[in-house]
Amino acid sequence: MTGTFSGLNTARTALWAQQRAMDVTGQNIANMNTDGYSRQRVDMQSLGGTAVPALYATSNNVGEGVSADKVTRIRDAFLEGRAQLEHASTASMTVADDTLSQIEQAFREPGDTGIQAQLSGMWAAWGDVHNNSTDPGARSEVLQRTETLVAGIRTTRANLDDQWDADYEGLGTLVDDVNATASSIAELNQAIRRATQANLPTNELADKRDSLVLKLSDQIGATSSPAEDGAITVSVGGATLVQGDTTLKLVVQGSNDPDDVATDPPRVVTSPGNTAIRAGGTAEGRLTAMTVTVPKYRNAVDSLARDLATQLNAAHATGYDLDGNAGGNILDDGAGDPSKITAKNLTLAVSDGRKLAAATLSPTAAGGSPSADNTNADAIYQLSLTSTGTDATYRKMIVSLGVEASTATNRLTTQSAIGGQVDASRESVSGVNLDKEMSNLLQYQHAYAAAGQLVSSINDMLDTLINMVR
Amino acid sequence: MMRITQRAVAQNSLAGLNTNLAAYNRLNERLTSGKTISKPSDSPTGTNTSMLTRQGIAGNDQYGRNITDGTTFLDATDTALQDMLSQLRRVRDLTVQALNGGAQSASSQQAIATEVSGIRESMLGQANQVVQGRPLFGGVTGGSKAYDSTGAYVGVGGANGVAVQPLERRISDVETIRVDLTGPEAFGDPAGGKDLFSVVKSVASHVDDTTALSDDLKDLDGVLDGLLAAAADVGTRASRLETAASVNSSQALNLTSRLSATEDVDLPKTIMEMQMQQVGYQAALQATAQVMQPTLLDFLR
Repeated sequence: MTGTFSGLNTARTALWAQQRAMDVTGQNIANMNTDGYSRQRVDMQSLGGTAVPALYATSNNVGEGVSADKVTRIRDAFLEGRAQLEHASTASMTVADDTLSQIEQAFREPGDTGIQAQLSGMWAAWGDVHNNSTDPGARSEVLQRTETLVAGIRTTRANLDDQWDADYEGLGTLVDDVNATASSIAELNQAIRRATQANLPTNELADKRDSLVLKLSDQIGATSSPAEDGAITVSVGGATLVQGDTTLKLVVQGSNDPDDVATDPPRVVTSPGNTAIRAGGTAEGRLTAMTVTVPKYRNAVDSLARDLATQLNAAHATGYDLDGNAGGNILDDGAGDPSKITAKNLTLAVSDGRKLAAATLSPTAAGGSPSADNTNADAIYQLSLTSTGTDATYRKMIVSLGVEASTATNRLTTQSAIGGQVDASRESVSGVNLDKEMSNLLQYQHAYAAAGQLVSSINDMLDTLINMVR
Repeated sequence: MMRITQRAVAQNSLAGLNTNLAAYNRLNERLTSGKTISKPSDSPTGTNTSMLTRQGIAGNDQYGRNITDGTTFLDATDTALQDMLSQLRRVRDLTVQALNGGAQSASSQQAIATEVSGIRESMLGQANQVVQGRPLFGGVTGGSKAYDSTGAYVGVGGANGVAVQPLERRISDVETIRVDLTGPEAFGDPAGGKDLFSVVKSVASHVDDTTALSDDLKDLDGVLDGLLAAAADVGTRASRLETAASVNSSQALNLTSRLSATEDVDLPKTIMEMQMQQVGYQAALQATAQVMQPTLLDFLR
């Protein structure tokens, strides 16, 4: 037998539930443009009578209204996982692309200011010496042009070093930021766990935490997995970064000198523990830049400088200068040792144009005094024409840099498209659609009005009942 | 079916507009810089061609300079040889005159001797002519003279046991041309005492000795032949240089146009693409404006 006022109670739960639904709709509309917000939905549930029948406690009641206690956020865990991976890849490839395009800038090719133009200038000066081997002007032109070339090679190398240093500093800052973010996630984990245990809503906190995890994915390639009581575990390359409310600190280790890359490469390690982790995302991009990409081109410039010096010095040594002395080294490391040349210490070792060995004819063969022969100048000029010469090696390097850079750009374009699609799918699941919220609003409004009508009908009914007694 | 939200529409539109604008910007960059390749990754093969061509142009410019320089040297040599040829012919005339003049007075013989000596001095001057700071006929000498005041060869190459060391100019990647002529080659080997200056000297001293003078005339003819051959040789080389110069300038044109074809923008094509991109961009803007405005909100009253 139903109580007299149970209808009123049903109407009351209905009014309350519809109002709550409208509140949630309002929250959705308010946050439609909030980053990382997942739309929420009220899970309405009809309230029934006694679930388990017993001898003296049976009920043939109709239901007892509706409950709207639970508000859930709508998101797809699979897509979130995909997003973490794709964001990490995109971030890593973005750094790779940036690195290569900076290297391209360091070389300034093809153009009139690159190393190639400076090489051509130097060879042309030797050509002028070949034309007039006794002209001091032509000789000092060789010195000037060589000095320009040396400066050009040094500048390129310095640019690459600067780039490496910037990457190293950037990695340090990034790891600091990662540590701070990890602490925030741990705090949120704790807050969410307490709220869950107290049966309080955690949707907004969880959204905030998910955004932070995605940021970590960008920065260092983090992934997350659910744990007990609404907490999550965040891991990076096999190491657990956040578990519950505890975090693992990360630090950058390794020499900050690009020369030590082979022996003591920069790496991200755990502290304590000193275990190197396999970082992803931006950190991976920077690490690759510092251990692979930049050193590769640094070494290429170094060996370019060395080869140039070796070839020039060898050709120069076969000749005789204006005073009849055999040609010495044109290029060395600044301390007189050509075997220790790098692009950084490459130095012009000749300061007097008379000391340039343009002649092949020795003073003895020329009858005792230095000759004005010019054959060796031509021999040096011909170094520019050989297929194993500096020009050819340099050109090959620039072309392979171009190929590598354009491959990186293409890969990034593809990866960005994939990342974009995953983000679009996430938005499709979790985003707020105004049309839907508007129609929901109408729906709830009508339901609210109907529940009100119910109250007034029951009121009339009770009125009738009470007036019967009069 | 994919659920679409207002935010997704806004983001997609923005991404699309960005792509459009980036393409627009790339074309604009090309048009304003005039270059299709501004960094190696724009076109690695194009970069290779461009760098090769640039190197070719630098080399070709240098060969052009070498050719001009070589031409100056050869022209000066030619002029000197022609002058000396005519002077030598005068010496020969005077010699013949001295030979025929059995009845000539001692004073007219003396006059001939004086004139021949004078011509010898003048020819010595010619032989020591300096171009670009170097004696034309001195070979690779480091000094400033080919012959000293006595007429002895002081240059390097072709005499005194030193082989001729040719002075060459590079006129292409694979070709060089010799631009000098040493004194011994032009005027005879001084070792045998039969070179130009010794012979002319002996003519001057034998004006009163017809027997010796007729021997000198024979030697003089030998020297004259040598000089003629040298002049012809120089002329041939000069004409080779001339050919090289015209090859060089047409090569310069070729290379420049190749570089331009590799690096420079195709204006009509790029402007056309730019127009199409502009139309596309405007269409995208228009569509976005239309799509982003309405929601159900506009129709609920």
